[in-house]
Amino acid sequence: MVDRNTGIGGNPVEEVVIEAGEALRDRAKSYTPDTNWARMVDHFKREWQLYVMLAPTIIWFIVFLYKPMYGLQIAFKDYSIFRGVANSPWVGLEHFQVLFSNEQFIRAVWNTIKISALNLLFGFPAPIILALMFNEILHATYKKTAQTIVYLPHFISSVIIAGIVITAFAPTGGIVNIILGWFGMDSIYFLTRPEWFRPIFVGTGIWQEAGFGSIVFLAAIAGVNPSLYESAVVDGANRWQMMWKITIPSILPTILIMLIIRIGNIMEVSFELVILLYQPATYETADVVNTWIYRQGLQSGQYDLAAAAGLFNALVAFVLVMTANSLSRRFSQTSLW
Amino acid sequence: MAGVNLSGIIKRYGAAQVVHGIDLNVAEKEFVVLVGPSGCGKSTTLRMIAGLEEISEGDLEIDGRRMNRVAPKDRDVAMVFQNYALYPHLNVADNMAFGLRIRRMPKDEIATTIAETAEILGLTEYLQRRPADLSGGQRQRVAMGRAIVRHPKVFLFDEPLSNLDAKLRTQMRAEIKRLHNRLGVTSVYVTHDQVEAMTLADRIVVMNDGRIEQVGTPMELFNNPANTFVAGFLGSPPMNQMKAQLTETGARVGGSEINLARPINGHAGRDVIIGIRPEHVTLQPGDQTTALPISLDLVEPLGSEALLHARFAETEVVFKAETHGNIAHLQGVSEVHVPAPLVQIFDAETGRALSLEH
Repeated sequence: MVDRNTGIGGNPVEEVVIEAGEALRDRAKSYTPDTNWARMVDHFKREWQLYVMLAPTIIWFIVFLYKPMYGLQIAFKDYSIFRGVANSPWVGLEHFQVLFSNEQFIRAVWNTIKISALNLLFGFPAPIILALMFNEILHATYKKTAQTIVYLPHFISSVIIAGIVITAFAPTGGIVNIILGWFGMDSIYFLTRPEWFRPIFVGTGIWQEAGFGSIVFLAAIAGVNPSLYESAVVDGANRWQMMWKITIPSILPTILIMLIIRIGNIMEVSFELVILLYQPATYETADVVNTWIYRQGLQSGQYDLAAAAGLFNALVAFVLVMTANSLSRRFSQTSLW
Repeated sequence: MAGVNLSGIIKRYGAAQVVHGIDLNVAEKEFVVLVGPSGCGKSTTLRMIAGLEEISEGDLEIDGRRMNRVAPKDRDVAMVFQNYALYPHLNVADNMAFGLRIRRMPKDEIATTIAETAEILGLTEYLQRRPADLSGGQRQRVAMGRAIVRHPKVFLFDEPLSNLDAKLRTQMRAEIKRLHNRLGVTSVYVTHDQVEAMTLADRIVVMNDGRIEQVGTPMELFNNPANTFVAGFLGSPPMNQMKAQLTETGARVGGSEINLARPINGHAGRDVIIGIRPEHVTLQPGDQTTALPISLDLVEPLGSEALLHARFAETEVVFKAETHGNIAHLQGVSEVHVPAPLVQIFDAETGRALSLEH
C-alpha cells in the first residue's frame, strides 16, 4: 500500500490534551485523603519541589518586609535607642500631630504629589508611546539598535545619571547652556533654581526609565493576534488606524495594570535621584517625603517621627492603590486582584 | 462579481521556493477549494490572492485587472480567517462595521447593512455581545458577517472551520454552502479537510509540495484521480494502492490476477500501482468482478457500514461493507470482489494515472 496516511488523521494536540486530562483524573482517583491535614501532607509530598523553589522569595519577604513592620510601632512611641522598640513609652498620635504642624513636612507632601503627578502625566505615557513607535519600525537591525540605546540608561547607576545631569546643566561647559548660548541667551544655573528642579527631575526619570519600561508594553503588543492586523489590512485600515483601533485597545489591560502599580508607588518618588540632584536652594520644590524622612530620621536621629512619616506615606499609597484597583475593575474589568 | 486568474504564481522566502508556478482560473461565482496536506502552499496561495504575501513571480488578476502591486484594501476581497480574527474589545456590531467605518460609509448605511447581514446569519440578538461571550459557531458567523457586509468581489476563506468541533463543522459547512448559493460571490476556500473540500466545492484544487496535483469537480477527482497522491488524499478511508504488474489480461498482484476489463495494448509486463476504493468492493461476486483473497484482521463497525482491515498480497488494505444492522456475517469474510471498471491504474514510477490506450 502506498500513501495510506496522506489524508486527515486525528489532531495530535487534541490527543495530548485528552491524555493529560485522563492522567489528572487518574491521579485524583489514586488517593483519597480522609482529612484536610492528610490532603495537605499528600499535596506537599507530591509538590515539595515547587515549595523549595518558592521558599527564597517567601524568606526574603519575611526578613525584609514583614519583620521590619515590628519596628513600625515606634511611630506611636517616644523611641529611644537605649530602651529599644519594646520598652520605649507609648505616646499615641503625638508624632502625627507634630508632622502635620510641620511646614516642611507639609511642603514635602505637596512636592511629592506634584512630582508624582508630573511623572504620571509625562512619565507614564512615555514608554507606551515608545513601544508603539518601536512596533512601527520594520527594519529589524534598526529596531534592535534603537531599543538597545533607549534601554541603556536604565542600567546606569543613579549616581552616574545625576553626574551626567549635573554636567549637562552646568552653567559653564554644560551642553544645555552652550546650546542656549548659540541663541544668544544667558547661562542659567538650572540646578540651583527651584522652578527648574521638577522639569529636570521628571525629564531625567523619563530618559532613564522610559526605554526599559517599554519592554512590558512591547511584550503586550507582541501578544496581539497577528491575524487581527491582517484582517484590518484586508478591510483597508492603515497603520495609524491599526494602532488606534487594534494595538492600543488590545494592550489596554496591560496599560491599566501598570497604571495601578504606578499609582501604588505615587508616594515613592525616586529617593536617591532627588538626594543626588537637590540642594538647600531647591528644597522649596525638591524636598519630598522620603528625603524629609531621611534627613529627620537618619541625620537628626528622630527615628520615631520619621517612622510616623513613613507610615503615613505607606497608608496614602495603600488607599491610592486600592482606589485605583477598584475603579479599574469597575470601569474596565481589569484589576490586580 | 469577478473571476480570479493565477498564472505562473511563484512564492519564494529567500532562497526557498514554496509555491512553484500555480496556474488556476476561478470563474465568476465559482466556489473553488484548495486542499492539501500541511505545508503544501495552499494558505500561501490564498494569502497572495489577498495581498498579505507578495507574489515573487507570475500574475494575479481579479476581475481582469492585474493585482500583483495593488494594496489588499483595493483588491475588493474579503477574508475569513482560521481563528476568526475578531476584535476582542468590540462587540459583534462594531466588529462587522469595522471595515465599513474604515471606508467611511455613512452611519445609516452601516446600520442597515449590519442589520440585514445579522438577519441572514442569525446574529441579530447577539449584536451587542463581545466575541468572548459567543460560542465558536457564533464567532465564525460574525467573521463571515464581517466579510459579507463589505459586498466584496471575492471571498477568501482560510480554514475557517478548523477550530470548530465535528458537529458544528458539519453545520457551518452547510451554512457556508447555503450562503454561497444565496450570494453567488466568487469564493476561494482553503482547507486540509477533504470532506469539506468534497462537500463545498464546485471545483477542487489538490495541492502538494507547492504544486497543483489536479483540478476538477469533486466527483471527477474521486472517480479519476490523476495520480497516487490525489487517490490517497481524497476519500475516507483513502484508496487502497498496491504494487502490481500488467499481464495480457489484467494485473498480477502477489499471487492473484485482477481482471481490468480493458485492453492492455502492449503494456503487459509494465510495473504499475493499482488502486481500489474501499467502497467499490462487494462481498458477493458480480458482473466483471475479480475475487481477492484477504486475511481479515479487524472489523470496525460504523453503523450502516463497517471497515474491514485486512491483508492482501502482503499489503494492508481497508474495505467498506454494509452491515445491515449486524457485523457477525463480516467476521468470517475471506474474499472480496472488485468490479474491473472501477480499478484504477497508475504508473509505478511517476504515480500518474495510466489510460492504457496505446
